[in-house]
Formats: sequence, structure tokens, C-alpha cells
Amino acid sequence: MKHSKQLLPDGLFTLVTLLITFCVILFLQNLFDSRTLTPMIFVLGVYLVSWRTQGYFWGIAASLISVLAVNYAFTYPYWAFDLISPECIASAVVMLIVSTMTGALTTRLKQQEKVKAEAETERMRGNLLRAVSHDLRTPLTAIYGSCSAMMENYDTFSREKHLKMLSSVSADAQWLVRMVENLLSVTRIDSGEVALKKQDTVLEELVDSLLVKFRKHYHQQTVQVSLPEEFVLIPMDAILIEQVLMNLLENAVFHAKGMQNLWLRVVIDQNMAVFRVEDDGAGIPEEQLPRLFTSHLTGDTPSDSSRSSMGIGLSVCSTIIKAHGSQIHAQNRPEGGACFYFALELEDTCDVEQ
Amino acid sequence: MSNNKYKILVVEDDPNITSFIQAVLEANDFQVLTAPLCRQGVLMFSSHNPDLVVLDLGLPDMDGLDFIRQVRQTSMVPILVLSARTEESDKVTALDLGANDYVTKPFGTAELIARVRAALRVTRHSLQAAAPGSIFMVDNLVIDYDRRQVAVGGKLVHLTQTEYNILALLSQHTGKVMTYSAIIRAIWGSMDDGSIKKLQVNMANIRKKLGCRPGDNRYVTNELGVGYRMLDE
Repeated sequence: MKHSKQLLPDGLFTLVTLLITFCVILFLQNLFDSRTLTPMIFVLGVYLVSWRTQGYFWGIAASLISVLAVNYAFTYPYWAFDLISPECIASAVVMLIVSTMTGALTTRLKQQEKVKAEAETERMRGNLLRAVSHDLRTPLTAIYGSCSAMMENYDTFSREKHLKMLSSVSADAQWLVRMVENLLSVTRIDSGEVALKKQDTVLEELVDSLLVKFRKHYHQQTVQVSLPEEFVLIPMDAILIEQVLMNLLENAVFHAKGMQNLWLRVVIDQNMAVFRVEDDGAGIPEEQLPRLFTSHLTGDTPSDSSRSSMGIGLSVCSTIIKAHGSQIHAQNRPEGGACFYFALELEDTCDVEQ
Repeated sequence: MSNNKYKILVVEDDPNITSFIQAVLEANDFQVLTAPLCRQGVLMFSSHNPDLVVLDLGLPDMDGLDFIRQVRQTSMVPILVLSARTEESDKVTALDLGANDYVTKPFGTAELIARVRAALRVTRHSLQAAAPGSIFMVDNLVIDYDRRQVAVGGKLVHLTQTEYNILALLSQHTGKVMTYSAIIRAIWGSMDDGSIKKLQVNMANIRKKLGCRPGDNRYVTNELGVGYRMLDE
């Protein structure tokens, strides 16, 4: 796919570069009455071609054409091919070697850049993994510790103590479940094999399903919902978007200190559905705002955050929304509290899935 | 006596999960049989004739979907599927093959017991629904099958023919998740590109007429991307 798309511009570029080279040499020959510059300028042209085009093909083609052009136009006998004289053949061979090596060198350079970019994503993945493993260790230690303590002291612990420890084990396990859900979502996008499963989703059903799940875990917190009156269908991977909204609501529950109200608002703005999760809590510290969604990927999280799952939760949100071709934003509300919002397109412009 | 207890067959390969499901079910007065492999499950099913099957879809020896196919050839016993998140499409297939309900892993014990009870009730419901002159009730919703009338809190609700048919269909399969395709085939006969949207629009109207708000659906819950389920209590 990529190659055939690149074929035409590359060919055109080669042709134009060689023509310009040819003209420059003609011009210089008239100016200086000397031919020492000719091969050099051709090598320059070949170098440019190898540098700007994909693979070896155009570089080698350009060098062959250059050899023939030098032979034809700029060496004795002028304006005629002379492929027999040893001098010509030698110069042709040298020219070919020089251009091939230039081509090889630039190609390798390009490959190195690609490797570098891959290493960068690999590094980001590594950082995420490190952050996650660190985060997983804490609840696992607690679960393991509580369980062995209970087994070893089964008869000496009071019933209340048992129940208290068990409930903390259960809470830790639930936290791990949420973390794994988030990781699953990210790997699902990252793997590239399983693309987004976009389906037309009824907004009202999405919000209903979300609220039922949210209430199961946080029945003490009410969410004030406002939705458009009309029937709205949005193409999306519903499970992932539900997770984004769930993360944002949970984020508010855990981090918005002093929150009284939690809002989920969806409005239709032209061709977009804008989702907003707002709270009237403490808001987000200004210095964290710019890197809120990326801190786990770049590896500059404070190491003391033992429960930074929400940081990961937010990078997951950002990844999911990006995969939907949009962006998630965070800001502090002028009246206090935080606001997270993102917009999804109502109609898929390029309907590949169907 | 233990003979009066409902007999539940649990087909699950992980011993830890099996043991906790067994403990919870037994604590709730069910008799539990376990099978770690699909083949064993099929054998135990035919020899013990359980009242309900809890089936894990990811079994090592055979596809859990094959188990449903085999069982459904001879029996309408309720099947409750345990599915991991990576098996989303299998979930829909399982329901279309005749599974009654699914629970997504990881699940809580309360959820599991509620689903088991609901699935056991379903079999009783569907027997009753066939009788003439019967009435369906959930919460304050009443469906009168003979008069084709629906009332909420004593007030008649005016539904279109299609809306009534959908609601009646769901009520006849109370507690069971009905997939989009199952509902569409039952209501319109055949499926095309627009049918899911047609169904969704009808459901939105039904919800509006029954006075349901998001997060507070007392009669019909929606299973995102899968289908709908009429609640049974």
C-alpha cells in the first residue's frame, strides 16, 4: 500500500532532480569551460534522490541514468555513447559504486530513525509497565499479607478482625480488577490486531449501562445527568467509551476532595457529541494540568504515589479517545472543581467497519 | 432433604473459581456438581440431569459453545455463561445458541446468585406465559397479554403494535438476555442493515413511554452491544 502510494512522487522527484542536475551542469560548463565539476554534481543529484526517496530503487536508477548521461553528454565523444573505451567504463563503475553506497548509507540512516522511533514507543511501554508493576505490588502485598495472617491466626483473631481484613482484601482485589480492565483496553488498542469495534451506540443506553455499573460500586455518590432530548446514535467502541466515562467518574470520587456534586453532561454541537464530567471538588493543581494524561507514559510520575491508578486511568482515557480520532481535555472550572471533556463524531465519515 | 434442592452443574476448569462458586452455591442451598472439562460436563449433564448449568466459555478441551449446542439438542435447561472480557463476541454467540444469561468475569458472589435465581425462575415463567388469560407483572408494570395492554402504576400506556410486541416478547423471556438478532427475528422476521437501529429507536420510545430514566431502568435493562433483558423482580 505504502509503496505504490509513494511510487509516483518518488519517480517524479527523481526525474526532476536529474533534469535540474543536467541543466546545472550545462550551465556551469558554459560558465567555467571545465568538466571537472560534472561527476560531482551528478553525485550530488544522486545523493539527493537516494535521500528523499524510499528504498534503493530510485537511487540506483538515478546513478545509472547519471552514468549514461555523463557518458553521453559530457565525455568525449560528446553527444554520443561510448561504452567501449576503458576510461569511460572505469568512470562509470566508480560513479555507480559511489552512488550505490550513498544510497545505501541514506537508506540505513532512515532505518535507524525508524528504529529510534520504535525504541521510543518501546520505552513508553516500558515506563507504563514499570508504573503498573509498582502499582500492582502494593495491593498484592496487602492481599497476600492479610490472607496469611488470617490463616496463621485463624483461631486467635476475633470475628470482627477477620471481617475487617477480608473486606480490605476484597477492596484491594476490586482495585486490581479495575487496573487490569484499564490495561486490557490499552493493549487492545496497542496490539493493532484488534482494532476498535465501532458500533452505533444509543447514547441513552450507554449512559444507563454506565450509571448502573457506577452505582454498584459507589452507591453513596449520585451523578447528575443531563442528556439531549432526541434519539442520539454515536459510532464508538461502547465498552471502551464506557470505561473512559467510568474512569472519569471514579477519578472524581477518589481525587476531587470536598466534592458535593458530580455531573455527567452530553450536548450535541453540530456534528459532535460533547461529553463532560464535572465536579465541584478541589480541582486539579495547575502544574499537573499539562501532563495529566501523559505522565505515566513519559515516566515522570512522583514515585511516592502508591495508588496512582488514576494516573494510568487517565492515560488510558487519552489513548482510547485518541483511537476514536479525538482528544480529551482537562481544565479547572472557574466556579471551582475540575472538568474533563471530549467530543465524538456523530456520523462516521469513513465507514470502514460496515 | 437434599433431594429437593436445585441441582447445579458447574463446568469450569480453574479449581479456585470452581471451589468458590461451589461454596457460594452450597451456602445458598443448592446442590452442586462440578466438571473441570467440557466432555465430562456433557457426560454429567446427561447422567445427573441438573436444573441449571454454569458454564465457563474458555475450557481447555472443547469450546464451551459446543457444549451449549450439544445440550440444546435435547434440553431447555437454563445455561448461565461465565465470560471473560476477551470473549465478547463469544458471549453473543452463546446467547444466540440458547444460553440464558451471562456473567462477566470477575463477578461478585451476590451477582452470581442473583443470576442463578433469575435463570431458575425463567423456566417457571415461560411455562406460565403460555397459558391464556395470563398477566405479566414486574415492579409496577403490568402486561395483559389477552388485551394487549400495558399499564404502569395502574395507568394505561399507549404503545404502538411493534412496541407492544417487543415488550411482550421480552416479558415472555423474563430474566433472559435477548440478543438484538433474536428480537429482530421474532418481531420483523428478517434482519437487514437498518434493523438494529429500528429496534433501538423502538426501545428508546418504550423507555420514554414507561418513564424510565438512564441509570434507573426498572423494567428493561440494556446490555450494551448485546441486547435487552426484562427484569424479573
